[in-house]
Amino acid sequence: MLVPTRNLRSNPHLLFVRLPYLLSFLCIVVGVIWLLLLPLNEYSRRTYISENALLPGQVHAYFSGSEQNIFRGYKKELGGLLVGGAGGNDGEDGSRGERGNGKVQSILRAAGLKVATQNYEYTSAGIRHQGQNTYAIINAPRGDATEAIVLVAAWKTADGELNINGITLALTLARYFKRWSLWSKDIIFLITPDSKSGAQAWIDAYHDMHPPSVQPLPLKSGALQGALVVEYPFDHRFESLHVVYDGVNGQLPNLDLFNTAVSIAGGQMGIGAVLQEMWDHDDSYEARLETILRGMVKQGFGYATGAHSSFMPYHVDAITLQTKGEGWQDEMALGRTVESLCRSLNNLLEHLHQSFFFYLLMQSNRFVSIGTYLPSAMLIAGNFTIMAIALWMRTGYYAGSSSPSTSAGAPAEEKKETTQKGSDASGVMERQLALPLTFVVGLHLLGLLPLYIFNNLSHQYFSSAVYTCIIADILLPLTLAALLTHHSPSTPSTPANTIPQHYLLIKSFSFLLLGLFLSTLATLNFSLSFMIGLLCAPLTFTNRTTSTSVLRYIFSTIGLVILNVLSPPVVLVGGCWYAGVSVESVLTQAAFGWDVWGMWTQVVVWCVWWPAWVTGCALLGSSMF
Amino acid sequence: MQLILRLLLTLSFLFLCILPASTEHTSNWAVLVSTSRFWFNYRHLANVLSLYRTVKRLGIPDSQIILMLPDDMACNPRNAFPGTVYSNADRAVDLYGDNIEVDYRGYEVTVENFIRLLTDRLDEDVPRSKRLGSDAGSNVLVYMTGHGGDQFLKFQDAEEIGAWDLADAFGQMWEKKRYHELLFMIDTCQANTMYTHFYSPNIVATGSSELDQSSYSHHADNDVGVAVIDRWTYYVLEFLETQVTSANSKLTLGDLFDSYDESKIHSQPGVRWDLFPGGEQEGRLRTVVDFFGNVQNVEVENANATDPGSLQEDLAEIARLVEKWRKRDQEYLTTRSDASNQSNSQAPQSNTESRTLSSYFSQRKNVGPAKMDEENCWQKRLVGVSVLGACAAAWFAGSILGRT
Repeated sequence: MLVPTRNLRSNPHLLFVRLPYLLSFLCIVVGVIWLLLLPLNEYSRRTYISENALLPGQVHAYFSGSEQNIFRGYKKELGGLLVGGAGGNDGEDGSRGERGNGKVQSILRAAGLKVATQNYEYTSAGIRHQGQNTYAIINAPRGDATEAIVLVAAWKTADGELNINGITLALTLARYFKRWSLWSKDIIFLITPDSKSGAQAWIDAYHDMHPPSVQPLPLKSGALQGALVVEYPFDHRFESLHVVYDGVNGQLPNLDLFNTAVSIAGGQMGIGAVLQEMWDHDDSYEARLETILRGMVKQGFGYATGAHSSFMPYHVDAITLQTKGEGWQDEMALGRTVESLCRSLNNLLEHLHQSFFFYLLMQSNRFVSIGTYLPSAMLIAGNFTIMAIALWMRTGYYAGSSSPSTSAGAPAEEKKETTQKGSDASGVMERQLALPLTFVVGLHLLGLLPLYIFNNLSHQYFSSAVYTCIIADILLPLTLAALLTHHSPSTPSTPANTIPQHYLLIKSFSFLLLGLFLSTLATLNFSLSFMIGLLCAPLTFTNRTTSTSVLRYIFSTIGLVILNVLSPPVVLVGGCWYAGVSVESVLTQAAFGWDVWGMWTQVVVWCVWWPAWVTGCALLGSSMF
Repeated sequence: MQLILRLLLTLSFLFLCILPASTEHTSNWAVLVSTSRFWFNYRHLANVLSLYRTVKRLGIPDSQIILMLPDDMACNPRNAFPGTVYSNADRAVDLYGDNIEVDYRGYEVTVENFIRLLTDRLDEDVPRSKRLGSDAGSNVLVYMTGHGGDQFLKFQDAEEIGAWDLADAFGQMWEKKRYHELLFMIDTCQANTMYTHFYSPNIVATGSSELDQSSYSHHADNDVGVAVIDRWTYYVLEFLETQVTSANSKLTLGDLFDSYDESKIHSQPGVRWDLFPGGEQEGRLRTVVDFFGNVQNVEVENANATDPGSLQEDLAEIARLVEKWRKRDQEYLTTRSDASNQSNSQAPQSNTESRTLSSYFSQRKNVGPAKMDEENCWQKRLVGVSVLGACAAAWFAGSILGRT
């Protein structure tokens, strides 16, 4: 035991050059395996209701019978207005939407609710999004007006379908709820034109955080305790409920809300609950893993998956209930589910806080919490930190030690490098920090340029911008590499040998920042940190090649090609091709997310991932010059 | 004289010995406590209100019931039936009814207030309705329910009462003669741990569940939306409501405790008898209405009381003193006669305290100096005789010798 340790300590080459690679590699492998272990029973847990007050499914839901006639009546009234097209009120069919909203308002007023409207307008990527939110409040008959629950129905679902049954159900429920006297919280019925912008405009204005293009709310209630979004976009009966829970920037609602919905739907109403579009979840390892991965992709991208997503930045727990499949459940069953859910939320005595906010769901009744899954992303982020520290040590420590070039099995480039250093007689090498620091900081600042461009360009230019970006990403590292090689300042003592130190320091600083950002991000948005970490993992193992000229060119070219395949724009194009969506729509969505939802994914891509990637490419490219 | 005194002593002792075994009590008090608030604990308040209704039905007046409710379920906005509290899903009986007197409510229900109430350490300005006015003749029923654990019961959200706190409170009650007999009932998780430390006598304690056992709710009302009553309380009430139909019921505590059915209660209820004089045998004979009802027994002028200062107590004390002095007297006299070989035949034997006392002292005064005088006298006489004798002998010898 002692001998190998002593060997390790007396062999700086092994300690500073080979060991870090080994450790980094181990970190990445363990991190990935860790994630793959999560779906196993041993590492995941069954969901449970933490909050005593919720009492899910303990109350009988009476929404049925004559309410169905009301529902049909409302539906007919709304359907008459919307005949011949979608009922949203985007710019093109504004008049129809106005009429729809007018009808909604009159119905809500007739039911005895206080009704108000809010106009809003957003412009993103050259597209104008405008509309009018209608909302109505039931004041708690015997409660104080300090808390409220929101029930949202959008004219257009998250998938862009006309949500006629959802709207009608919300109106019927409004009339029905108004007659109960047991509400301890106000109930707000919000009818928005679409699932993307309407709820965002409303919730921003509710908290007085709205931009000037959004009207303030004339009518308000207390602190929002929870929000439910109802989507029922087709006319036939449904089979199961799809519970959507992902929020903007990967924020999640309290697990108790999700559990309550699943428990009420499944336990009380006998409606199956599915999640992450896993329609045929057989609870196998593969299905669980796929559910986790789908959840991670949504969380990592950080976009809004429905009207509920907008509520989460304000710490209002929200979920969307989507009806799916062809079955025998009708709108009344959905109404009863919503009623029971509202009764549970009504029972709350304080904000949902008992259960988890950070979790990965793998089945409607199984999850892993942050304590279990976090090490996975942390290990991957840690690999960069390890490498950064090792490189830093190497640049200062290594110069004075004896030449380790004799050690067998060292990579060719390292051997050369160390030989060069070994010939330096000074013993202690002074670190030249100016150039590496400027380089790394400059690149991170340069990331703001594509960030700005992609968030402010008009949508029709997105495709060309991406391809320009790909080409720029090929050329920029090479240019930087050439500049680094030919114009780097030389140290006074040994001009020829200082160049590797610059490279090592640049890589060290770049990785230090990357490791720092990713480990911080892992606590906030695990999935994004994990994905970026994996995409950056090859950078750990690339460096300036210093072997013979022919091999050097071959190695670096192959390396550059591989890295370019993993560049942010190429990954974007590849991902779009795989998913079958257009790059333009994705980027439009991203710009919309930045402008309206406050999505931060682009910042991570352009200011964390991209600079690290450019640095890695430039270092590899420098071996060509 | 002595005979009469003996008779009197034995009579009074006999009387005193019989007294504690008497089942007589003169009033009934009930302390009914729910310790949890919040809507989802509806059942705890329903438990207490059910008990409240039962003791009222069996005759304990509101003035002798201390009802502690930390929350107001009837007026909770979540209550689908405003102004009512039900302990059964059939909603046949509105426990809140027309006349309910809550003595401690909301945040007044604290551990401190509860202990102060039991031990009567309340401020002067606390009204009578908030005081436990029980005395040495009162049978007290203490019923508690809430969320508990091993040797504690949670009060509201932030505090708890421990088993020792409760034991000490009852200990003080006994010392301050605030109960005659006490029935302690508790329905909470691990309830039986709460009475493990009781040490004051005349307590019968019963709880709903053993250590490490939960107490469960009985059923929920699907319209109210919460569980409405706990199992143990439900079955205790079932017994009280169906069997103990009037204040004249002769059913005993033994019958009540025998009615416990673990398969229904889903936990093991416990009973503690050992503090009760006569133990389980005696305790089982107490009727249920001894604690749940209101007796009308009247007692005339402290005849049976054992308070300090009562006639019986005084008589007994006097008799004890008399006996003590009499013994000392005899002892003294025997030692005295041994020493001086003189019996004090006329030692005064009176049946009243003052005479005994005076004769005792007078005798002592007379004897002392006499003894001293007599001893000196004889010595002097002997000396005188011997001197005279010697002088006579000297004169006689001298006259004979002088002649010759």
